[in-house]
Amino acid sequence: MHDVWRSKRRLAIASAAAVLALILSACSGPSGQNPQASGDPYTGSLTYWFWGESDVPGSTNWMQAAVSRYEALHPGIHIQVVPQATQTLQGAFQTAAQAKSGPDIAMQWATLPVLTPAWRGQITPLTGLIPESELSQWPNTQENTYDGKVWAMPLYLLGVPFVWNKDLFAKAGLDSTHGPQTWDELLADCAKLKAAGITPIMAGDKDGAFGSWFQSVVGTQTLDSVQELQAVYAGKADFSDPKYSGYLTRLAELRDKGYLSSDIASVESTEAWQSFAQGKGAMTWATDGNVAAWVKQGLGPKLGVQKTPQIATGKLAQYYDATQSISAFITSWSSQKAQAAAFLTWLHTSENMTNWYTTTGAFPADKRFDPSAITDPVMTQLYKLDTLPNQLWAENYAPPQVDDQGLRTVAQALLAGSTSASDATSQIAGIIKAWQTQQPDDFKTYSKWAAG
Amino acid sequence: MGSPIHTTVDRRIATGSPRVKVRRLRGGTWPYAFIFPMIVCLGLVFAYPLITVVRNSVYTSSMGETTFSGLENYRSLLQDPVFMTSLFNSLKLLVVVPVVTVVAVLIALMLYEGTKGWRAYRITVFVPYIIPATAIGISFSYLLQENGIVNIALRRISLGFLAQDWIGNSNIVLFSVGGLLVWTQLGFGVIVFTASLLSLPKELSEAAAIDGATRWQTNRLVVLPQIRGTVEFFLVLQAIQVIAWTFPYVYILTHGGPGNASSVMDLYVWRYAFQYSSPGLSSAAAVVLLLLAGVLIAIYTRLRMKQGER
Repeated sequence: MHDVWRSKRRLAIASAAAVLALILSACSGPSGQNPQASGDPYTGSLTYWFWGESDVPGSTNWMQAAVSRYEALHPGIHIQVVPQATQTLQGAFQTAAQAKSGPDIAMQWATLPVLTPAWRGQITPLTGLIPESELSQWPNTQENTYDGKVWAMPLYLLGVPFVWNKDLFAKAGLDSTHGPQTWDELLADCAKLKAAGITPIMAGDKDGAFGSWFQSVVGTQTLDSVQELQAVYAGKADFSDPKYSGYLTRLAELRDKGYLSSDIASVESTEAWQSFAQGKGAMTWATDGNVAAWVKQGLGPKLGVQKTPQIATGKLAQYYDATQSISAFITSWSSQKAQAAAFLTWLHTSENMTNWYTTTGAFPADKRFDPSAITDPVMTQLYKLDTLPNQLWAENYAPPQVDDQGLRTVAQALLAGSTSASDATSQIAGIIKAWQTQQPDDFKTYSKWAAG
Repeated sequence: MGSPIHTTVDRRIATGSPRVKVRRLRGGTWPYAFIFPMIVCLGLVFAYPLITVVRNSVYTSSMGETTFSGLENYRSLLQDPVFMTSLFNSLKLLVVVPVVTVVAVLIALMLYEGTKGWRAYRITVFVPYIIPATAIGISFSYLLQENGIVNIALRRISLGFLAQDWIGNSNIVLFSVGGLLVWTQLGFGVIVFTASLLSLPKELSEAAAIDGATRWQTNRLVVLPQIRGTVEFFLVLQAIQVIAWTFPYVYILTHGGPGNASSVMDLYVWRYAFQYSSPGLSSAAAVVLLLLAGVLIAIYTRLRMKQGER
C-alpha cells in the first residue's frame, strides 16, 4: 500500500517536473546561435519573406527561379521563399520581430518602413556584411541610409508615371500624343473626357494607396526640399499649412467634379489598373512594373507616359517620383547573416539583373544595368524618367502609422465623400500629433534623422 | 467483515493518531499533484495571456523598452476618435444579434413543422456558417463593389436606382457588414433552434391544438417558452461573436474603410498590436473588449440563475 502511494507520488512529481521543464524550456528563448552563423556562407537554410507582385507582376516567379539557380550553384544552401501580401506586409514583419523569429531576409518599402525597424533594432545593417564596392552600385541608397550605414538592398526601380490611353484621348477630341502638363490642363482634359462618356481617371482606393500616392505625386510639389517634407513629421511644421495639405483640396475637386472612377472606394489599386488596361478609363497613375506588363500584352502603342502634370512651383515639383520601392534586409535575429548577405549580393550580379529586366520588364536597381537592353519606346521613356538626377517618393518619409492612419485612411474617407478637405486636414494633423505622443522614441529618432 | 489492516486504519482514524493525520494529508495532497500539470496548462493557455494583456495595458512600449504608464493608454484610447468610432461600430453591429435570432427562430419553426425536405433546407442554410471567413469576405467584396455583381444584376432588371456602392459608401458600409454577419450566422442559429425544438415533447403542442389553439398561438405560448433557455444562450453567444469575432469579415471585405467607417474593436486591437507596434494601446483596447464580453457573459449568467430560481 505504502509502495503504491509512493509510486503514485513519484509519478505525480515527475509529471509536475516535466510540465515545469517544458515551461522553462519554452521561456528560455532561442536555443543559442546556429553553428553555421559565422561559417561557410554557402551552407545553411534561409527563409526569405518576399514581396513585389503588386509593383512588378511576375516578380515572385522570378525570385523562385533565381533561388533555384542559386541552390544549383551552391548545393549546401536552401532558401525558402515565402510570398507576402500587401495588406499584412508590415504587420507580419512586426509580429515576427516581436517574437524574434521568422525570416532571415525580409522586405519593406524603402525609407521609413525600413528605417523604423532599423531604429527598433530589428534589422542588421548591410554595411559591413556586403562590400562597399557592391553597395556603391545600388542607386538611391540614401533612402535606406541611417547613421552612415545602408540597411537594405533595392531590387528594382519603381517609378510612378502618369499614364494615358491614346485611343480614348483621341475619341474625346484631345491630342493623344501629349498628356496634360498643368493642373488646369488636367482638369480641362478630364472635362472633355467626361463629356465624351469616358471615365477620366481610373483609380482604386479600397487599399488606401491612391490618397498617399496623390500626396507623393501632387502634394509635395509645393515644397522646396526633402527636409521641408520631413519637418511636418518632426514637429517643426504644421500639416494645416496649405503648403502641406493643399493636395487634399485638389483631391476633393477631382472627386466633386466626377473625374475619378465611380468605384474608386470599393476596388483595390490593382483592380483599377486592370480596368485601365481594358480601356475603361483614360488616365491613371501606375507603376513601371504594371506599364511593363501592359507593354508585354501589346498595349504599348496605345499608351502615353510622362511625369505628373506640374501643379505648383516648389523645387520638389522638378523631382520625379521614383524610389527603390521594396527593399530587402537581414533580420537582427537571423543566425545566418553571412549566408543572407551572400545571396543578396548574388542577386545583383549583372546576369541576374539583366534576367530580371527581360523576365519582368521592370528596371533593376543597379548602376551596372545596361539600358541598351530596353528597346520599347514607352519603356525607354520610363527609364529616362527613373534615372533623372532628382528622385523622391514622399510617402517613404511618412512614419508608417501616419501613412496608414492619415495619408491613406483619411484620404480614403475624403474620396468616399464622408469628409471634407478641411476636416481631412485637421484629422491628418491630429494623427501626426498622436503618433508623436504614442511613439515618443520613434518620434525622437525621426527628428534626429530629419536633422541629418 | 473488514481485513485486519482496514480495521487498524479505521481505529487509527477514529483515535486521530499523528501517523494517520500525516497519511490523510498526503492522501489529500497527491490528487492535487496529479491535476497540477493540467492547472498549469490551463493557466498558460488562459490566465497567462489574460494577465499579460492587462499588464501590458498599463505599460507604454517603444523601441523595445517598456515603461509603466498607469492609465495613460486608456486615456489615449478615449481621446482617439478611431477607437471611439470602432467601439460604436461594434456596438451598432449588435443590431445583427436580434435579427439573426428572430429569423433563425422563424426558419427553425418552419422546419420543425415538417416542411417537405426540411433536412435539405437546414443544410442549405447552414452552409454559409462553415465556409471560411476569408472566402466569404473575398466573394462578397466582388459582389458588393460599385460595379460588382449585385449592382450589375440590379441594373439589368431595371432596378438600377437601388444600386449602391455597398462597401465604398461610408453611410452604407456598416449595413453591408451587418448583412454579411446575418448571412453567415443564420445557419448556426437554425441548427441550434431546430435541435432544441426537436427535443421538445410533442404532447404539449398536441394538447394545445386539441384545445383549439392556432398555430401562431401554439408556437408563441407553448413552443417558444420551452426553448427560451436556448434563445438566451444563442443571444449572448452571438453578441460575443459580434463584439469580438468580426475581424476576418471586416478586414477582408472593407479593411475597416472607407476611412474608418467600418472599423471595429478587434480590427483596432490588431492594427495597434501588429501594424503600429503599440502593444500598450492594443492591450488597453483588448481589455475594453474583454470587459464588454464580460458584461454580456454576466447578463447571461444572471438570466440563467433567474431561470433556475423560477
